Amino acid sequence: MIELYHIWKQYQKPHWALSDVSIEINSGDFCFITGPSGSGKTTLLKIIFKEILPTEGQILIDGVNILKIPDHKIYRLRRTMGIVFQDFRLLFHQSVFDNVAIPLKILGIPYKEIRRRVFNALRQVNLHHKMWEFPQRLSYGEQQRVAIARAIVNNPKILLADEPTGNLDPELAFEIMSIFKEINKQGATVIIGSHDRELIRHFGDKIFFLQKGKIIGKEVKQ
Amino acid sequence: MIFRQLGYLFKAAGNNLWNFRGRNFISVLIIGFSFLIIGIFLALSNNLTYLGEQLSNNLAISFFLDKNLKSEDLEFIKSQILTSSLVDQVAYVSSDEALKRFTASFPELKDILDHLQSNPFPPSYEVRLKKKTMSLTAITSFIENIRHLKGVIDVQFNQEWVEKMESLSRIVKAIGFFLGGILIMASFFIISNVVRLNVFARKNEIEILRLVGATNTFIRIPFLIEGFVLGLLGSLISIFILFLLIKIFPIYVGSSLGAAKELLALRPLTTEQLTWLITGGAVIGTLGSVTSVSRFLRV
Repeated sequence: MIELYHIWKQYQKPHWALSDVSIEINSGDFCFITGPSGSGKTTLLKIIFKEILPTEGQILIDGVNILKIPDHKIYRLRRTMGIVFQDFRLLFHQSVFDNVAIPLKILGIPYKEIRRRVFNALRQVNLHHKMWEFPQRLSYGEQQRVAIARAIVNNPKILLADEPTGNLDPELAFEIMSIFKEINKQGATVIIGSHDRELIRHFGDKIFFLQKGKIIGKEVKQ
Repeated sequence: MIFRQLGYLFKAAGNNLWNFRGRNFISVLIIGFSFLIIGIFLALSNNLTYLGEQLSNNLAISFFLDKNLKSEDLEFIKSQILTSSLVDQVAYVSSDEALKRFTASFPELKDILDHLQSNPFPPSYEVRLKKKTMSLTAITSFIENIRHLKGVIDVQFNQEWVEKMESLSRIVKAIGFFLGGILIMASFFIISNVVRLNVFARKNEIEILRLVGATNTFIRIPFLIEGFVLGLLGSLISIFILFLLIKIFPIYVGSSLGAAKELLALRPLTTEQLTWLITGGAVIGTLGSVTSVSRFLRV
């Protein structure tokens, strides 16, 4: 369970990127955080995986206050998460295979197993035929799929994705969402920041509406 | 599991060294150049030390003796000379031996000697001082002690020469400490900044690894290995270039230096100095890398 209590975030005075955001996301939820550009979606996601710290407020994940986890132990939290960054954050001097394999190498998983899992993850995003390519030779959409494969390769407990389908055509976007849904069915909590209304309408079980850093609404499908 | 992770890390370090070979090559050259300057300085300083030692080896004092001294008096003077800790060797030169040396050195003056009734050269004790004996006050006090012994009629010793040697040695030491200190500090800053720039260029990579759950150690190790290798290669290259310089310098530059040739020659580094250079390269590379990475481990 992910609980955010009175989260405030200010990058520069006097503007608040987030103002008093309090939300609860249950384990196994498939939820969207939506809103126009600049509404604070990315900031909120970054706070959940502690890339940035809130100016005020508390965040509990499975009862643990993540703001109290010291920097050198934060890896434990992140190993339970899969993150699709808005800017992909791929290593351009490493092959697609190596990029997707990073979370597995970190855990010291045997190479054979890494190969199997990376291949499966890439097959899910329909990119297994480009396993040995380098990211700079891929299209924007393909790079995004590499980022998605890296996020799902480790069967994370929590999957965070910031505009994961922003550069994909509608068909592929639906396919990717189906993959996320599949991971969700296996027990993972999925949180997606997106402004794609069509996708949200089709897939969203729980939707939080953000505007100018404030939660202005919540919708839960029955 | 740890061995598997280490395997990945060594492989990652190897890949990074190859993938960023252009940047790494420049880093190695800069590190090498910094160490080369230190190496050249050490080689020059080695030469000055060598020259100093050579000169002090040649420092000799002759105590001229009365021709009619008895053997026990001779023994007494010798024993008095040997009590000094400055003395390395004492040799007795008889009047005949002195005459022989003179005729060998100045054969053209043989006629004059033939006209003399007796041998004009007094016997003497030739004293060689120990290496690195440069204290003029100690030498003067030793000479004064012996000069006043019964049977010693004169002393020959080039005091001006010792004074010059003494001041040269002081200057070399002062320059050594000053330049050596500056060079070592400058090199340390240059090298650690080169390594830091190298790490800075890969700041994104460090962030990504942190965000996907890598521990700080996992991130640090490849950089540590890379820093070690770059530092080591840099110092080895500097030693190689220094070796070439030592071989080539006297051929191309030596003759044009004239009188300064002896002073400005490069003398090979000692094994100890080489070990320090190599270790220094590896340590500076590793430390520079690790401290730079730490700055980006706060994501």
